[in-house]
Amino acid sequence: MNGVERILAAMSLDATDRAPVIAQVFGHAAVVAGVPLGRYVQDGATLARCQLEALERYGYDAVFALMDATVETEAMGSVLDYRTNSYPTVKSYALESERGTDDLILPDPKRDGRMPEILKAAQILREKVKDSTLVVGCVLGPLTLVVQLLGAESALYLAIDDPEKFASLLDLAADAVIGFGEAQMVAGTHLPMVFDPSASEDFVPHQFFREMEAPRLKRVFEAFRKAGACGNWLHIAGPVEHILPLYGEIGVNIANFDYCVAPVRAREALPQLCLEGNIKSLDFVDSSPGAIAAQSGQLMDFFEDRGGFILSSGCEIPPESRPENVVAMVSSTVGRRPVRCRG
Amino acid sequence: MSVERLREALLDGDQNRAVLEAKRLVDGGAPGETIVTEAIEKVMEQLGAKCTVEQFNLLEIMLVGRAVTAVMKGLFPEGAPCATVKGAVVLASLEGDVHDLGKNIVKTVLTAKGIGVIDCGKDCSLDKLIEAAKRDNARFICISGLITSVVPQVRRVKGLCLARGLGQIRVVAGGAALKQSTAQSLNVDYVAENAFDGARYIEEIVEASL
Repeated sequence: MNGVERILAAMSLDATDRAPVIAQVFGHAAVVAGVPLGRYVQDGATLARCQLEALERYGYDAVFALMDATVETEAMGSVLDYRTNSYPTVKSYALESERGTDDLILPDPKRDGRMPEILKAAQILREKVKDSTLVVGCVLGPLTLVVQLLGAESALYLAIDDPEKFASLLDLAADAVIGFGEAQMVAGTHLPMVFDPSASEDFVPHQFFREMEAPRLKRVFEAFRKAGACGNWLHIAGPVEHILPLYGEIGVNIANFDYCVAPVRAREALPQLCLEGNIKSLDFVDSSPGAIAAQSGQLMDFFEDRGGFILSSGCEIPPESRPENVVAMVSSTVGRRPVRCRG
Repeated sequence: MSVERLREALLDGDQNRAVLEAKRLVDGGAPGETIVTEAIEKVMEQLGAKCTVEQFNLLEIMLVGRAVTAVMKGLFPEGAPCATVKGAVVLASLEGDVHDLGKNIVKTVLTAKGIGVIDCGKDCSLDKLIEAAKRDNARFICISGLITSVVPQVRRVKGLCLARGLGQIRVVAGGAALKQSTAQSLNVDYVAENAFDGARYIEEIVEASL
């Protein structure tokens, strides 16, 4: 089986020749290629080259056309601060000060900000790996995009003080996300992962997620499915135990879960859904290859009887991670028994 | 003087009502310090008791925090000293980290407990942080971190304090990225699960030394 076949099988809880493994390698690809992170996040061709070199080095099942979490907000008017060796940060938010939501316009992925560079990266990656390795794009979840347009505090206060305005902003964000995700698929991704850290229970109560974010995510995933996504991947880092049971009706096919969610709880909440996780991100910096291999083995053992599991980190593998720890996770899938059972 | 209505407004996160109730108390002759100790500190204690690791409601904390801040601003306009200040905490998100939501909550919680806070802001260099700690004779440095890339900076704080003759300062870390780690690994004195946990750690040490 190749990477795409392995992941598609895991999505259907079907047998695989070995556990699929996705290292969430984003900026780390630049670090191991010796490229400044500041260039990696601004140049699609450089990003694609680094991703392909990392794929060659590690041999996992997916590559990412993903720069950072500020692509959409920049394309919609936020001003960023670019740095040489770290991810860009928002210098001023698109909706800071007196600027109204009516001034916001949907971004054009072919023209605005770094979106065209993401599309270029997606195109190069797909041309190179074709259907052997999953090419994953990325969009923000609507709530996370609203947070990136306003700033976290302002966004949450708006949700309380003017819920109608907040809801219309979420709708606009969902439209922006759909347009960007569809363009990524036209450019070559197999699917755009929806990255929505602000939807975690660390940030909003689960009732807020159910009422405000879940309906928008459902609309996003329906649009992606219609546009040809081979599956829908929802990535919410942090605590998600109370919202996991909603993933099925939202239309999720791959559910990320972070280190703070026990595998047994994730499995109970989503018995028929493919789960992806959950080694602690910081362990790739601080821990040892032996410890990473042991954790990987435990996770694969736990899911062996049902399949539907992609070995991964709970969130991004930090740029400064030790390469031997990534190798340890990927290598741990080799030489194990095939995953046979269907849940 | 009954502070019950002010407490209710604060717990309800209703800043307008809280400001009105505080004004009513002040007009009735209540000293600002009494309002802080009898209403604000009690409310924060109640909120802190509710906010366990399993039941941490950020929105609720933010709304109460906003109401507390509005009342404090009314009681102690800029420049006017808050009589209850005890200890001094220097607080920041470090260079490269522009997330300040968690930091701001820590600031609100500590301030409401009568602990003095020097806010060095977000994206703060280690030099600026240590300089502020020295200048303001801080007893604690609190670092809030949402991204793992700040970890190497956090590990340097204790050493820089020692080098500047500030070895007595206790360093507290918190936030989504930093709480993945241990105090030993981060080379800090304490890793807080949340803002209230960090405030409790600081308060216990401050109270013990009074």
